[in-house]
Amino acid sequence: MGIKEDFFNDILVETVLHERATIAEAEVLKKQIAAKYAEGYKKIIIDLSECEFIDSTFLGVIVNTLKRVAKVNGDLKLVGFKPAVKSMFELTRMFRVFESFTSVREAIKSFE
Amino acid sequence: MNNNYKILLVEDEPNIARLFNYTLTKAGYTVCFAENGLVGFNKVIEDKPDLIISDIMMPEVDGFEFRKMLLQHKSVSNIPFVFLTAKGSEDDILEGYNLSIEEYIIKTESPKIVVAKINSIFESIKRGRENAVVEVQKAADNLKIKVVPESFPKLEGFEIKHYHKPFESVPGGDFIDYIKINDNTLVVVTGDVMGKKWGAWYFAVAYAGYVRNAIRVACSSVDEYSPKVIMQKINEMIYNDERISEVFITLSIVIIDSNLNTIKYCGAGDLPLLLVGDKVETIKSNGLLLGFSFNGNYEDISFEINPNQVLYLITDGIVELRNNDGIQLGYENLGNIIINSLKKESSLTEIIKELSLYSNSNFEDDLSIIQIKKI
Repeated sequence: MGIKEDFFNDILVETVLHERATIAEAEVLKKQIAAKYAEGYKKIIIDLSECEFIDSTFLGVIVNTLKRVAKVNGDLKLVGFKPAVKSMFELTRMFRVFESFTSVREAIKSFE
Repeated sequence: MNNNYKILLVEDEPNIARLFNYTLTKAGYTVCFAENGLVGFNKVIEDKPDLIISDIMMPEVDGFEFRKMLLQHKSVSNIPFVFLTAKGSEDDILEGYNLSIEEYIIKTESPKIVVAKINSIFESIKRGRENAVVEVQKAADNLKIKVVPESFPKLEGFEIKHYHKPFESVPGGDFIDYIKINDNTLVVVTGDVMGKKWGAWYFAVAYAGYVRNAIRVACSSVDEYSPKVIMQKINEMIYNDERISEVFITLSIVIIDSNLNTIKYCGAGDLPLLLVGDKVETIKSNGLLLGFSFNGNYEDISFEINPNQVLYLITDGIVELRNNDGIQLGYENLGNIIINSLKKESSLTEIIKELSLYSNSNFEDDLSIIQIKKI
């Protein structure tokens, strides 16, 4: 469990290893990203392949991160939507503002 | 004790770990393990348990050292901490209590006594929390911040009712408002401040108040009563306000004109409206969450309600309700519940009853629903 961090050059990959990503996971993700953002990471990938559900608090962290990195010419891309997660992005129309990929490899490639 | 509390047990001796795992699990707790302070520290950071029970004598990082590491990390230093140890000298006990712990338990105590002490810690946390909730509610009341109107609005030809249940009785996430423009025009608003559960409840109440005020200002400053125009104005205010740049808000605005019998709707990251008669229609908007981008792509959607139809505005706490098997309610089930409720005298009460039955009254978020009936 937890949120795993990997680095590919200047790209930060956060892999969410929880089936349900809610308040507790949102807090961890927020903290991890804030620490890496302070170190200069502004290209971020969040891998949600393991998630069956995210709530609006967790979505809020993702949205806020995108807003933040976009201001400094960075980007946030998402990987792996399961149906309920996809529906959360669809319902809030946020799928329109995020680029999403089926694998981390593809997402990394898109930054090149 | 019936609860969902998660306890981290840091213990290097497998037999003792097994014994307390059995006892605590039997008492209704979820238990996870670490074999020393270092592994324990990483687990606390990752999993944020509700309580930590730790041995003192352990390899690599002992219990005292482990406790000191946690105290240096603000995000986890307040998690209740208990030493469970064979070290029973006065010096050891005093050293333990000097590290801001809840309890120091000697391993010679029976497992039943240990569980009773842990139960008592959780009871006392619960009481403290209940007191804090009362304080938040008092503060919100004193500030005259109401996130939901106390009465239903009146509009010729329509019956409008709502139901709102705040998560753990703390106001602030969802909000509802009605603004009567003139005798024939009513603005109905519902929204959700995302991230209420952060612990920033005071702020969530304030944001809800902020948005309600912004809507009232926008309503008084537009020439044309269009939800899109109001939405765009509010979005600009929020987008440009640095103080709330990290807050995102979903919003549904519906304007009812009782003379023309028309409804105009605009949404920002909100859930689709449900128009229910013989069948369930969803009405979806395209607008983005308030505050995300300067141009939120807001559009008006106009429609009429027939006398046999009822319009519902809902927030995510409703469709995300889960039954005992963890299955979400979803739109289809909600639609069926609503259709069946319309056969009953008091349909909104019936819907709430069915939602409680579905979720076994285990609510995990604010619940808000507005019902608009043509009469």
